Amino acid sequence: MNEFFHMGGFGAYIWSAMGIAALLMVLEPVTLVFRRRSVIAQIKRNKRLEERRLNNEKN
Amino acid sequence: MKINWFKYSAPMNFYPLAGKLIPLFWILAIALIALGLYWGFFKTADVLSDQKQYYRIIYVHVASAWMAMWLYAVMVAWAMVGLVFNTRLSFMMASATAITGTVMTVIALATGAIWGKTSWGTWWDWDPKLTSFLILLFVYIGYIALQSAIDDVRRSDKASALLALVGLALVPIIYYAVNCPDPNECASLHQESSLERVESNILIAMLITTLGFWMYSFATILMRVRTIILERERNTSWVSKLKEFNN
Repeated sequence: MNEFFHMGGFGAYIWSAMGIAALLMVLEPVTLVFRRRSVIAQIKRNKRLEERRLNNEKN
Repeated sequence: MKINWFKYSAPMNFYPLAGKLIPLFWILAIALIALGLYWGFFKTADVLSDQKQYYRIIYVHVASAWMAMWLYAVMVAWAMVGLVFNTRLSFMMASATAITGTVMTVIALATGAIWGKTSWGTWWDWDPKLTSFLILLFVYIGYIALQSAIDDVRRSDKASALLALVGLALVPIIYYAVNCPDPNECASLHQESSLERVESNILIAMLITTLGFWMYSFATILMRVRTIILERERNTSWVSKLKEFNN
């Protein structure tokens, strides 16, 4: 197993290349999930404000 | 049965469809990338005639470099459809493709630098392939920057579509930088991309991983386009009726 990670002395290069790819390909969808949540929260907030404004106008 | 494909050019119909497709693309992406890397690490020789273990960087390097170029062509195609037919969704797709393309370009450059260090003894060289790829990164960044610099959505869509079209000139340059007809003329340090020379198990692993990267790109692009749709169509009645906002 150790020999596998050692990769004939090139382990540091191979695993850092794989690591960079993995890191970016995990970060991208994670930021997408956060962005989607924040957009949904913002639209909800605007909707609530709009409803409150309409109610105030009625009274 | 007649399927009306134009139905899905409307954001209202595309939004739920994309939502259903995303998990499917994620499953395929994870399965294919795992299979490709398994094949590439366990079914291949440790040492090749001209490269040692470090050649295994090829799986992520080639897959991401291909994606970076193809996604650029995909982005331009969407931008062109948008310019010709003036469809809102096409521009949103173009803009959603740009960031995934940028991520792929960064991965290709970073893994390429690491591979270069082991194989050529240098992290970077102003070789035609590397240089044109760096410019591809700048064009992606320029597209994203231009789009966010113009507040009016319709104008920013059109302006950035034109920039993307101009940048398309890069794709054949990158291609010929690797597949140079006469090496004396191009002085390319980068290996020629001759698939027929690659050992078959490595080739299989590389192609499976690339397919996985395609699925990853579909998944992230659809996720991003759904958010863009919400942002841009927030004032329409169909968005306010979505279950996301009614619970």
